Amino acid sequence: MTLAAQSPWPDARPALPWRRLSLPAGLGLPALVTLCAIVLGGLPFLRLAVAAFAPGWQFAPEAALAEIGSRAAINATLHTLETAGLSAIGALLIGGTAAILLGVTDVRGKRPIAFALVFSMMIAPQVAALAFLSLFAPHSPILALFGLSPAPGTPNPLLGRGGIALVMALHHAPLVAITLWTGLRSVPHSLIEAAQMEGAGPATIVGRILLPVLRPQIIAAALLAFVAGIGNFGIPALLGLPVNYLTLPTLIYRRLSSFGPAGLPDAAALSILVGLVAALGIAAGMLATRRAGGKVEIERPLEPFWTLGRARPFVTGALLLLLAIKLGLPFLALLAEALTPALGVALTWQSVTFDKFAEVLLRQDVTVRAFRNSFLFAGSAALILAFASIAFAYALERRMGKLRRVVEVVIELPYALPGVVLAIACILMFLKPLPLLGVSIYATPFIILFAYLARFLPLALKAPLAAMAQIEAHHEEAAKLDGVTLWQMLRFIVAPILAPAAAVSALMVFLVAFNELTVSALLWSSGTETLGVVLFSLKEAGLAGEAAAVALSASAVILAAMLALDGAARRLPANVLPWRI
Amino acid sequence: MRFKASVSVLAAGLVAGALLADPTLAAEGKLVLYTSQPNTDAQQTIDAFKAKHPKVDISFVRDGTPRVMAKLRAEFEAGAPQADLLLIADAVTMEGLKKEDRLLAHEKADLSAYPAGIHDPAKFWFATKLITTGIVYNTKAPMKPTSWLDLAKPEAKNLLAMPSPLNSGAAMIHTITLTNNLPTGWAFYEALKSNGALAAGANGDILRQVATGEKLYGMIVDFMPIREKAKGAPVEFVFPSEGVSAVSEPVAILKTSKNPEAAKAFVDFLLSKEGQDLALKQGYVAAHPDVALPAGYPARTAIKLMPFDAAKALADEASARKRFSAIFE
Repeated sequence: MTLAAQSPWPDARPALPWRRLSLPAGLGLPALVTLCAIVLGGLPFLRLAVAAFAPGWQFAPEAALAEIGSRAAINATLHTLETAGLSAIGALLIGGTAAILLGVTDVRGKRPIAFALVFSMMIAPQVAALAFLSLFAPHSPILALFGLSPAPGTPNPLLGRGGIALVMALHHAPLVAITLWTGLRSVPHSLIEAAQMEGAGPATIVGRILLPVLRPQIIAAALLAFVAGIGNFGIPALLGLPVNYLTLPTLIYRRLSSFGPAGLPDAAALSILVGLVAALGIAAGMLATRRAGGKVEIERPLEPFWTLGRARPFVTGALLLLLAIKLGLPFLALLAEALTPALGVALTWQSVTFDKFAEVLLRQDVTVRAFRNSFLFAGSAALILAFASIAFAYALERRMGKLRRVVEVVIELPYALPGVVLAIACILMFLKPLPLLGVSIYATPFIILFAYLARFLPLALKAPLAAMAQIEAHHEEAAKLDGVTLWQMLRFIVAPILAPAAAVSALMVFLVAFNELTVSALLWSSGTETLGVVLFSLKEAGLAGEAAAVALSASAVILAAMLALDGAARRLPANVLPWRI
Repeated sequence: MRFKASVSVLAAGLVAGALLADPTLAAEGKLVLYTSQPNTDAQQTIDAFKAKHPKVDISFVRDGTPRVMAKLRAEFEAGAPQADLLLIADAVTMEGLKKEDRLLAHEKADLSAYPAGIHDPAKFWFATKLITTGIVYNTKAPMKPTSWLDLAKPEAKNLLAMPSPLNSGAAMIHTITLTNNLPTGWAFYEALKSNGALAAGANGDILRQVATGEKLYGMIVDFMPIREKAKGAPVEFVFPSEGVSAVSEPVAILKTSKNPEAAKAFVDFLLSKEGQDLALKQGYVAAHPDVALPAGYPARTAIKLMPFDAAKALADEASARKRFSAIFE
């Protein structure tokens, strides 16, 4: 574990003398970053490849090749590409529009809207999918309100490709919006003023100046949404499986749940396909970034310059509608499940009950333990990754040259793999005691922490990396002339510039990891159960109401934490809270 | 950890040597149980066992059967399975493991109280409960189904949901049992498909769909709708006239167990009258014929079980899977 746990943050500490001795100056950081990428992304993937092509360390690739070439696998690959691609475009349109509207116009209620958009990342994908599914189902109370209820038995229009892409686009829109906000912060207002003086209208400024300047962030955001779409299990499971529209994660789950011993190698073989699809997306991203965006120098940060006038209430209304769909619907669905005594009982003043909350919060101590565990795991992962992302962004952007792309693909792999596959890779790697140390981290909290670090590093890296790409290097060059050490460079030059982006990374990682299910599902042991595990357990036992009560309580905790952060904003460095725009 | 475990195994060995006469007294040391029981039930089972065998330090890992098996398979692949005991939904998985030589027989298990045919005759795995699959309907439904064949009638067109055997072990056993026992065989599933039946998700999803009225009929495990009805949900569970299929939540000891004596004590406890009464307290139908049934169930004699052969089911499983995919995909 020492290697795995320590490697993400060594550069946030004073450089030790031995490190300077062991590598020539200038190569230390790139070597370390490459090593981390290999440990976090490369090893799990390679271990899966071994499980696929050489099960039990006997080289026998036939079965894996047959699985990869099977009709089911090819179809699932195409479906994954379609849904991930379409949903990334959708997320970019929805999240991007929202981000720009909130960033540059004088729309009303900016801060609460942005706050709610960030908060909506708390909703687990399967909850969102279920809420949309019931919205369009024959028994939908909302459709009934408009007298539009379909006859019982009408197929749900959300099932299949379109529905998956739509729900995933909505689900990943906040990731896009948050990534773009960090970019908007580093656009100098003088750029806008210059254009205004030339007589350019606000739409022209957005299209001709803002979007080109934001290019690194836009590509980073699209890539994030794409890779998140590849690895998403909850949404295609609910919206695709019923009509046998399988993506790679759902096909892998199906293979795993087969009784036989072939399940594991088959799932591992399909994971190779996941890696290929992710690499395709990253290659497309590389093509798009070949024409590098302009570098900027921050003097006065961007201020809203678009006065909406008469359109203002309509734009506000549209944003509120987006929130109602994205945040309101799932919450209403959860509330209805948590407050009624049994499934299918109408929620009225007579039937409302708080039994389920009392049961999960007061009677079952596992829930409270799960809250504590998820808080610890998500919190430590967020903290470690925020610091690591600063060193990574600097190394990748300034020091790695051509090697950068390779390292980026390797880092991206664990985020694209379905969580359950990453978990299997971790089991395969860590079950036996670690070489040299002789201890096993299996069945300890550290295996979950390792998996979180591996999985969410790409998520943490996007904003700092894009920010680094946008910033002129002359501070660093000046510092270099003064002969600073690597540690001084990171601590006094790079970290202050990247701090807001890194804080945003920490927040995103925390929100996503806090509710995470698929990774910890296979890695927990008694005492280290996470919130997602408890939720899933309750759901599987047919206790949907209790599960909804846990989900709502978790959201309440996060809401309280975010409000506390918001209250403390004045004492925090500027710009670390993404919703304070 | 490894060191502590080996010390306690050693200690257990010494004590076992000293007290050869009484195996229950020798039960101590660490035990790890992998189970698909719901958390609360698993905890109760563990607590009850601990009360009887305070020297055994037993812990459990819980997840759905597919995930438990995925975890165990990964541990096999890495060469160090961690579990001593396995308590999962279905016997077909156990038969598979038995065939791969992963299980340890418990020759001395006392099965005198049980009718023949519930447990593995070779004593590699033992049934602990009966979880049957029957029909659930929403009380608003116009038809009250009494037979499996009712689900293929026009009244149920586009209104039936069932768990997919491609996702759920219990559903796979249900499919194999039903196609072996209904005179129409696979033609029944073809009729369901042309009647617009939806095969997806797990049992919890079926309950949600039928209770909320999204669908009106479903195939489902018994305890979910019976419990939910007691809480006021508009659902009713039916044991169809042809009979129901059943999974038995079997328990087995892994060959690689480091503490087989304590593991055997755990199996003996589950099979004892006391262990079986616990199943009743948790609201399940116990496997032991003398244990009463929970509230909401008909008398034990009124529940007709369709015959099922786990070893044969294992052999049929691949073709059943293919058959099912061909119809529903």
